[in-house]
Amino acid sequence: MTYLELKNVSKAFAGVDVVHDFSLDIEKGTLVSFLGPSGCGKTTTLRMIAGFEQLDDGSIQLDGNDITGVPPNRRDIGMVFQAYALFPNKTVRDNISFGLRMKKTPKNEIRKKVDTVLEMVRLQETADRYPHQLSGGQQQRIALARALAVQPRVLLLDEPLSALDAGVRVALRGEIRRIQSELAITTVYVTHDQEEALSISDKVVVMNKGIIQQVGTPEEIYRAPQTRFVATFIGTANQFLGTASGRDSVVCKNIKLLAEGVENFRDGEEVVALVRPENIHVQSELPQQRNDWNAIPGVVETITFHGAVTRLGVNTGGQRIVADVTVANTKPVALNQKIWLLFPMSACQVMAAKE
Amino acid sequence: MKDLRKTNRESAKKMHRPRWQAFFIGLFLFYMLLPILSTYVFSVATRWDRTILPEGYTLQFYARAAGASYFTSTLRNSLILSLATVLVSLIIIVPTVYWVHMRLTSAQPLIELLMILPFGIPTVVLALALVQVYNFAPLARSPFLLIGAVVVYSMPFMYRPVSNALQAIDSHTLTEAGQSLGANIVQILAEVVIPNILPGILSGSLLVFSTVFAEYTLTSLIVGARFKTFPLLLLEYTRINGNVAAAFSVISFTIAWLVSMMILWVGTTGKATSPEALRAR
Amino acid sequence: MTPKKRKTGGFSNWIGFAPFLLFCLAFEIVPILLLIRGSFFEKTSGKFTLSHYLGLQHPLYVNSFLNSINLSGLTALIGVVLGTFIGYAIYCWPSARVRDALITLSDVTTNFAGVPLAFAFVIILGLNGVVTQFLAHYLDYKLYPGFSIYSFSGLVLAYVYFQLPLMVLLILPAFAGIKKEWQESAQSLSASTFQFWWQIGIPILMPSLIAGFTLLFANAFGAYATAYALVQSNMSLVTLQIGYMISGEVYQDPGTGMAMAVLSLIIMGFSIGVYQVTANRARRWSKS
Repeated sequence: MTYLELKNVSKAFAGVDVVHDFSLDIEKGTLVSFLGPSGCGKTTTLRMIAGFEQLDDGSIQLDGNDITGVPPNRRDIGMVFQAYALFPNKTVRDNISFGLRMKKTPKNEIRKKVDTVLEMVRLQETADRYPHQLSGGQQQRIALARALAVQPRVLLLDEPLSALDAGVRVALRGEIRRIQSELAITTVYVTHDQEEALSISDKVVVMNKGIIQQVGTPEEIYRAPQTRFVATFIGTANQFLGTASGRDSVVCKNIKLLAEGVENFRDGEEVVALVRPENIHVQSELPQQRNDWNAIPGVVETITFHGAVTRLGVNTGGQRIVADVTVANTKPVALNQKIWLLFPMSACQVMAAKE
Repeated sequence: MKDLRKTNRESAKKMHRPRWQAFFIGLFLFYMLLPILSTYVFSVATRWDRTILPEGYTLQFYARAAGASYFTSTLRNSLILSLATVLVSLIIIVPTVYWVHMRLTSAQPLIELLMILPFGIPTVVLALALVQVYNFAPLARSPFLLIGAVVVYSMPFMYRPVSNALQAIDSHTLTEAGQSLGANIVQILAEVVIPNILPGILSGSLLVFSTVFAEYTLTSLIVGARFKTFPLLLLEYTRINGNVAAAFSVISFTIAWLVSMMILWVGTTGKATSPEALRAR
Repeated sequence: MTPKKRKTGGFSNWIGFAPFLLFCLAFEIVPILLLIRGSFFEKTSGKFTLSHYLGLQHPLYVNSFLNSINLSGLTALIGVVLGTFIGYAIYCWPSARVRDALITLSDVTTNFAGVPLAFAFVIILGLNGVVTQFLAHYLDYKLYPGFSIYSFSGLVLAYVYFQLPLMVLLILPAFAGIKKEWQESAQSLSASTFQFWWQIGIPILMPSLIAGFTLLFANAFGAYATAYALVQSNMSLVTLQIGYMISGEVYQDPGTGMAMAVLSLIIMGFSIGVYQVTANRARRWSKS
């Protein structure tokens, strides 16, 4: 059931399109991430939902009501900022109760609600402290508690973890997801960190230059990218530029690849074939040829140890290809060794060369 | 790109802010500019006590100002006093600040305190204390005592820019880098530290110069007529001839403006948020 | 935090600090301490006494202190209130060039004080001043004798001239320290603009406002040249009285002068002390 709906939303600053014809349905109780590089319009979109930015075009509906022109202080939307934005002159308790007092909630009820959200973020003991006495991670949890205390209809998080250390970041994102699903609160989460978006979301909206590139579950986004931008922005992908040929081939500079999705392009049209490093098998001898596999010879130039996998940089006659091998299923390779790179046609996706 | 858009957004929002800002800024401009502009006009007005606008314009008061008997000697005295103060400040403050940064960080709170102290002492009280203690020759009521007094009173203006500049360049790391490349302390000072804090030293010197050039209180109370400076001459003329006094005022504004422009040109001084904005009135 | 725990302190390192310290002792600290000591002792007999302080009960001195405190308090208050509004107007002004120009103007005008300032105010508001005449000609309003630039009200106008830009310079960083996100969080928590300023904005500005007031107060209290050039003997102020004593223009008991100086040191020291504490607090808030 659609709860929050953006219809053909557009926004330009000083003549530059920042968000262009953005339409999206968000279901009640789900967590949706806006993911993209900085300047892609994700924060602007979030701020339009919050009401801090006016729309140039389009409309926003919440629970069946048009809220496009409603001022931010009457939208019932909770917001968490990257820079915490706790009021420095108020204690933790006063920060959290601020929104409740604005709504003229009775005193004893305020107390109860503040205690509940403090317990939710596990910071009961900090109630009487001031923001500057808390760590960054604690401040952000209090900011989350403050936004949740008023029981908003939608929770908006604007890069809430970007200012924190790596360890805190991972712990807090788990916490956010836990609280979000406990309360089943509709949440929009803006981030430029793909790992964060993929691990936390029900759905991911990948954006670039103000345009939605793809909407899908984290698995769909990773396994079946629909545009070259999504494929390269999320994870790593080897790119082979070439032209479409027949129903299943791409002709590159030195090689011809078997790929999926070629039928969508005209013969001779410029396309790019993408292969993820983990889908490439490495063998020292050319095995018996299978007809739906690609095989490319090359020389190992770099070997980088990444823990679970080892990444090989392979020179294949001008093009550099990276392949991930796991120690368990590959024989050790050495620098300057001649090897064969093998990958099935199904692992090779063809997309328009233009982003 | 994101930042650019942000500022665009902000300015777009500010574009249609209400008119009350314009009112306050207009009031501010009027209050700040009227006295200065009136002085300028008065210095070239033939007669301006019966009409709204002057009855005529002349440059004769500048000629009379330049021809006044004490004009050159007071200007010279003011220059001597200002330059001597800058020199003494440079000699005693700059090396001390560097020393404290490098070798004696435990003296940091003490030096900060000593730099705030002059703001807590009214200049007349400093004058009284100095006149009473140094009541013997050759110091008593002498220009030497005056230089000591104005150095004390103007030293925060030298200290802050130099200290900020030292902090900004991270003199520790630079000194260590210099040492690791085989330079000795003199070479490091001459080629690394001083060139890098030169803007701070320059703006400190200019601030001290303009402060001392306009100094009236200590000069009139410690030495008085024996070492007459430009501000003393100005006060004298406000009682002799207003138009000539206006011409003197314009000359002192012009010097102050020039020095301010030089300070701006040299770089930021970082004095806006500290009590350095305080001067004797 | 790079490891910078090198040897600091130690006797040999303090030698480098000695010339500066000696200079401060000679031209500032020792004379002031001797002044304080002198205010408690009789000059001829050298015996401890409070008589110098008791002498301050004379109406002339009581008036001087009252005038000085009233003048400083009033001009500081006007400076804080007007300066805050002007500062906010400058802070919000869309054009960066105009903002920079106004900040430079404040920087220059707050240092435009003393004799030239006093004289400029005589030119505009003296008996035949520009504004005096404008009011008489166009609005048929006689400024004199109800007002005089040589009186308390005249001094107020002249002092506000340097107080106002000083406050503008002090308050601008405080406005810059109010984060846009605070305003937006308050809004998303359903606060109105007024509620934001009343509950968040003004309390956050408060340390800066108090710091501004104390600094402006000290600034006016210690002022001498402007007042000397304007009011002369029309009105008594603490700094003027001390000045007369030094120059010998008016006969005064030196002991009383010292007591007066010590009392004004206490007032100034207290103001600057409060300024330091509140300014530090303001700085800490704008960081968190």
